[in-house]
Amino acid sequence: MLAVVLYGVSMIHSVFLWRKGFRRDTHVSYLLLLGAFGFHTVAMMMRGLRLNRCPVSNLYEATAFVMWTVVAAYLVVGLWSRLRFLGAFASPGLFALGVFALMGRLDLPQGTRPELPVFWTSLHAAFLALSYGAFALSSVAAVMYLSQERNLKLHRLKAFFALMPSIQRLEAVVNRLLVSGLVLLTLGLGLGAFELAHLKDPHAYAGDPKIIWSALVWALYLGLVIMRWRFAQGGRRFALGAVGAFVFVLLTFWGTNALSTLHNP
Amino acid sequence: MPIVVIGLSHHSSPVTVRERFAFAESRIPASLQSLRQAGIAEEAVILSTCNRVEIYAASLLDSTKACSALQEFLVTCHNYQEPLANEIYALGEPQSVHHLFRVACGLDSMVLGETEILGQLKKAYDLALQNGHTGSRLNKAFQRAFNVAKHVRTETAIQRGSVSVGSVAVELAEKIFTKLGDREVMIIGAGDTGEKTARALLSRGARSIVVTNRSYDRALALAQDLGGRAVAFEDWASEFANIDIIISSTSAPNYILDRARLEPLLKLRRNRPLLLIDIAVPRDIEPEVNFLENVFLYNIDDLQAIARDYLAQRQVEVARCEKIIHEKAAALLAPYAGPPNRPAVPQATVTDAE
Repeated sequence: MLAVVLYGVSMIHSVFLWRKGFRRDTHVSYLLLLGAFGFHTVAMMMRGLRLNRCPVSNLYEATAFVMWTVVAAYLVVGLWSRLRFLGAFASPGLFALGVFALMGRLDLPQGTRPELPVFWTSLHAAFLALSYGAFALSSVAAVMYLSQERNLKLHRLKAFFALMPSIQRLEAVVNRLLVSGLVLLTLGLGLGAFELAHLKDPHAYAGDPKIIWSALVWALYLGLVIMRWRFAQGGRRFALGAVGAFVFVLLTFWGTNALSTLHNP
Repeated sequence: MPIVVIGLSHHSSPVTVRERFAFAESRIPASLQSLRQAGIAEEAVILSTCNRVEIYAASLLDSTKACSALQEFLVTCHNYQEPLANEIYALGEPQSVHHLFRVACGLDSMVLGETEILGQLKKAYDLALQNGHTGSRLNKAFQRAFNVAKHVRTETAIQRGSVSVGSVAVELAEKIFTKLGDREVMIIGAGDTGEKTARALLSRGARSIVVTNRSYDRALALAQDLGGRAVAFEDWASEFANIDIIISSTSAPNYILDRARLEPLLKLRRNRPLLLIDIAVPRDIEPEVNFLENVFLYNIDDLQAIARDYLAQRQVEVARCEKIIHEKAAALLAPYAGPPNRPAVPQATVTDAE
């Protein structure tokens, strides 16, 4: 709860930064998110210790874990002062996700599959949450790119006064986060497939919405990365692709999770 | 022992007068020695740049007498015999210290907030220090001035932004490209502004320059001057795949680059951004090309508008800088506190550069 309050404060601070055109380097945003990260980590650790597993089993935990990975990734990327404004772009999303996660109905006890080892299940979920965190931050960097690119195109002074990295660097950040996310997603899905093979009748889950959706998301991000590597796709279209892909994940993750019998035994 | 300053600057006198009072660097140590031997100053620093000639001194004389003596020294030293009106200003404490701090911060410069003067001031101080012409008063004042300049630079936006077309173009390139060191620049037309802009980009590390012009000889001469290479005007499009920044300044009456011509060339670039700087009047590049993806087109008006806005932004910061300077000067002078003393030099014209 305290972490979400700090995400909210950071969001309000972001509005001020945006209105001032991101003209001054600020540590406030970074420190607010660092504070929120501290509370968030403590809360997750307490829950993990209480449940004796990685807290990523139900929607509440998965959302909280994705948020945690987004902030963790930001805190690393934000060590470069020019990329610190990513926090201002990420805060509104973090706050919205935090409020969403705190809704009581999400934190329902989740059935478990005793035939699967807790360690591998936790690792599978953790890899996936980390990958969504990387995708989330890549979409935030892509929004930053789109904003700065538009200001430069329209010759707006905001583009000059804003202490932001060059658009080419932002593009590289988007790309690196997408590749990192794809690697983590591949590992997570690979572990999921490995676990699936240990179930009694794995073919029964071939049409599970979450499996189909996961394959679709993987193909979507793989397509983006290939377009970038093979066809040097860059600029606005690439940034829009990164934003669009994550919006798709955000809008469909919860629904497919709820429909999945594999994930709701 | 008050600190006083007398001098001339671009605010008070034209270059025809300033150049007569300029000190060659080799002459400064001897001039400082003369000042001290004459008993005019115990400590002294001479600052001589294209925009100002100033003598900062700590003297046992009271401020008024010290300023008169310094002015006489300055006039005699340069054998200046024409009548003086308001060209020379003289300031006693605390205005002299305020002035020193303002100069260090670039607030008294022709280009508000520029940093070159700080380097020149440091050099002038070092020269006096190495020759033993400074003491505790000027040492403290100058070192504090350098600190104040650093403080003002970090705490205010007085030095932010670019105020010339060339430097705006560099800043623009830095907003688009990760590193200028990997960038290849093409100049179309061998005009003066184009050359200056290219030099600004080269000074910030641009990898290489390609020059093209209707007169190949002029292109070749400029390319040699800039350490680049020349290409025939008919062939410039063939270089397009490797070029990242184009500065166009031809006197062509029509567009030399339009959307129809650029669009197929962009395919060679594999989505790398392209910065087009059109400083020609009439314009060389069709404005429509700005709608193409990864293309950023700026014309001379755009660059000048940005430079003007930066300057306006700096003007806004002046009040904040003055407040800092006032506080730092008061802190420096507090141990020597006495009634403020502004000199009135009868035989010299005393003006306040501020």
